[in-house]
Amino acid sequence: MQTMDYKGKVKPSWCPGCGNHAVLSALRQAMAELDYKTHETAIVSGIGCSSRFPFFMSTYGFHSIHGRALPVAIGLKEAKPEINVIAVGGDGDGLSIGGNHFIHAGRKNPNITYIMMDNEIYALTKGQCSPTSRIGTITKCNPYAWTADRINPVLMALSFNASYVARGYSGDIKQLEQLILEGLKHKGFSFIHIISPCVQYNKVSSFEKIKEIARNLPNDHDVTDKVNAMKYAFSSDGLYTGVFYKVERPTYEERYKEVISTAQKNLPDNYSIKDVIKQFQ
Amino acid sequence: MKDLRIKISGTSGQGIISSGDILSYATARKGYYVTTYRAFPSEIRGDGKCYYTLRISEHKALTATGETDVLVCLDEDTIYECLSELKQNSILIYDSDLVSELKETRDDIIKYAIPLKTIAKNIGSERSRNMVALGIVVGLIQNLHLEEQILKDIELRYKSKSQEVIDANKKALNAGFEYVKSTLKRIDDYDKVQMASTGAKLIMSGNEAIGLAALVSGCRFFAGYPITPATEIMEWLAKELPKFGGKMVQCEDEIAAINYALGASYSGVKAMTATSGPGFSLMQEALGLASMAEIPIVIADVQRCGPSTGVPTKTEQSDLFAAMYGTHGDCPKIVLAPMNVADCFYQTINAFNFAEQYQVPVIVLSDASLGPRRECVDLIDLDKLNIINRQKPVLKEGDTYNRYEDTPSGISPISCPGDLYGEHVVTGLEHTPQNAPTPEPHVHRMMTEKRFRKLETAAGQFSKAKTYGDENASIGIISWGSTSGPVFEAIDKAKENGIKVQALYPRTLYPLPTDWIKGFIKNKDVVIVIEANYNAQFKSTIVERCTKTEVLEFLKYDGTPFTPEEIYEEIQKVSKLQESKYSLTTNKHTHF
Repeated sequence: MQTMDYKGKVKPSWCPGCGNHAVLSALRQAMAELDYKTHETAIVSGIGCSSRFPFFMSTYGFHSIHGRALPVAIGLKEAKPEINVIAVGGDGDGLSIGGNHFIHAGRKNPNITYIMMDNEIYALTKGQCSPTSRIGTITKCNPYAWTADRINPVLMALSFNASYVARGYSGDIKQLEQLILEGLKHKGFSFIHIISPCVQYNKVSSFEKIKEIARNLPNDHDVTDKVNAMKYAFSSDGLYTGVFYKVERPTYEERYKEVISTAQKNLPDNYSIKDVIKQFQ
Repeated sequence: MKDLRIKISGTSGQGIISSGDILSYATARKGYYVTTYRAFPSEIRGDGKCYYTLRISEHKALTATGETDVLVCLDEDTIYECLSELKQNSILIYDSDLVSELKETRDDIIKYAIPLKTIAKNIGSERSRNMVALGIVVGLIQNLHLEEQILKDIELRYKSKSQEVIDANKKALNAGFEYVKSTLKRIDDYDKVQMASTGAKLIMSGNEAIGLAALVSGCRFFAGYPITPATEIMEWLAKELPKFGGKMVQCEDEIAAINYALGASYSGVKAMTATSGPGFSLMQEALGLASMAEIPIVIADVQRCGPSTGVPTKTEQSDLFAAMYGTHGDCPKIVLAPMNVADCFYQTINAFNFAEQYQVPVIVLSDASLGPRRECVDLIDLDKLNIINRQKPVLKEGDTYNRYEDTPSGISPISCPGDLYGEHVVTGLEHTPQNAPTPEPHVHRMMTEKRFRKLETAAGQFSKAKTYGDENASIGIISWGSTSGPVFEAIDKAKENGIKVQALYPRTLYPLPTDWIKGFIKNKDVVIVIEANYNAQFKSTIVERCTKTEVLEFLKYDGTPFTPEEIYEEIQKVSKLQESKYSLTTNKHTHF
């Protein structure tokens, strides 16, 4: 497959200069590298600027409702594990209205990839504070100051036991492609936090600003060391990018396969509904 | 006597439900018809009261509620609570070890004060008081010959526990049975109760019937969140789905549950969820998504008293508005309401068929009196069931596939992830037939009409609204769901007393079968809508859509289901009013 083959019928509706363009092209490249078939892949999203993503792809897609990308994506994966499922969305969608699902996705460990494009703002509704907005941010909804602390999505994913946690930013498309590629290849719930600046409503976290503070995780960082990963996620001496954490553990599908074989263990041959009904006789 | 109501009551934790269940299984397996009604508190142990009513009959009965023949009370409070429900010359059994003297009593009933505690203690454990009591019941109705079958059912129920538990329960049952034979001085007539066995039948609860229908329909994915009184559907499918390679996923909340199910259904697997009021409220937004994105899904709402947490274990029919109009926007969907356990099965089969065929959410409105109710169901002929699967497009390379093709029927063939050349994006945004989002006025109009056109196409396939009783009757009753059972019995009672009444019970509530309802109302002098909610939800819908003439209402909203007796009383009242030609005022409230 070529990158071009993943181009959807609808032209990206994002503003020129929006960070999401880079994520789109990085994902297409990573998929091409893995030769993902369009009919065997589904992109699932909620609501928000970045959630328009599925329309710009030629794969199957599910543009659902605000905050619900993960439950739709996991439901799809559990029902049809052979499909490559990628959930995408923004910080408001995934951390605020959909925050609860993020927690439980981590501990269930379904074999899906979740790409969060974080612009620290609600952009589709024209600029209100999100769970990653900085204290003191001024918008029309908080004309004097935003008064809540920020959520740290990488730290969240680590504490909820996601088995692959990475961070990139839209200014470094090469690294982004690598992080996504590795995430797609990872067996289990892979979470990629992408700082994806909004050129319209967020003048604070601009490309320039992120570039200034972004720094690669040290080469000797042990990706199986969760405590160390958390330390880097917490760090105030810059915004670390790269793979924070990566371990293999059984996926939700694998665990359920065991449930199925336990349930079927002592069943007679050709067990059918007729046998089920016997319990009511 | 061919019809018998037994009620076992006591405090939560005394084994009321176990003894009721064992007796109902034994009765059904012996070939009699049985239907039950259970009421229980939310607490597992504590002061809450439990009641288990069984109605054993030679012919199929439609409700267990009504006057009691044999009342067994394992505590003192429920004696006084249930005293008024007893028939004349019926039996009250209570524990003389707990109650030395009755504070209230009746002279027209037979009272057996039996030292249940002592009997249980003498054979090993006070805890088996419930089984001693059950043995006494079986002994009193000795001509139904339940003793052998009930011992088998004790074995079946406790086979996962120890042989010790099985033996202790059997011993207690025998002790009760022997007490009736050798010690009790009987002055009642219930030894004359005799019924013919009517052959093999099934016994299941309303919740199990919904689960079974899902399995039969080909549903292989269930996502849910525990909630009383719907959890049993989830538990049953958790046990059965994996045997067929299917999955039951317990989610973090009901919002997740319905969205999991939508993701699964989009993948091409038939999917459902089940819940009760609070969970149903949480699901409303995703229900609209299913409607807009045209994704088949079945939602069972086992209604309980609301609003908010309400009374979690008690019944009400108050989610009708939420089911019909709950979601924002113009939202095509289908709402079905089963009237008894067998109907829970067949309506859920219909629900999956409608969902698959018309790509809409289908809601099955059960309730707390129906979900946990164990009842006989005639044998199911699986080969006669028509199972419908969604229509798929036939595609080859180079074909253009429009997911939301505007067709005369409104139905657009649906491809699923994994299908070649069928890639598309489904969305909750308004979209063109080519599934591109758009705010264009003419597209929103066209696509809204397309989605609703499916309901017009479906209308011809809905199960016909059924009637019961004399078609020449001047009094008509319209009811829905589980209320229909007591309504029919009240109609039988009215007939015995020379009052002609006919009932209409539509199984499809949305879209409203207006033609049938209009036709029914036209032929009646007076129509009463009977339902278990304060707002007269179905009546308001009927008044708004079907008639300009006056319609009466008879409502109940105390958490208990209607009894045939109270409906019969209402029929009598209306009949007298009619005779004396009093003019009836519109919207007359006869709140129960």
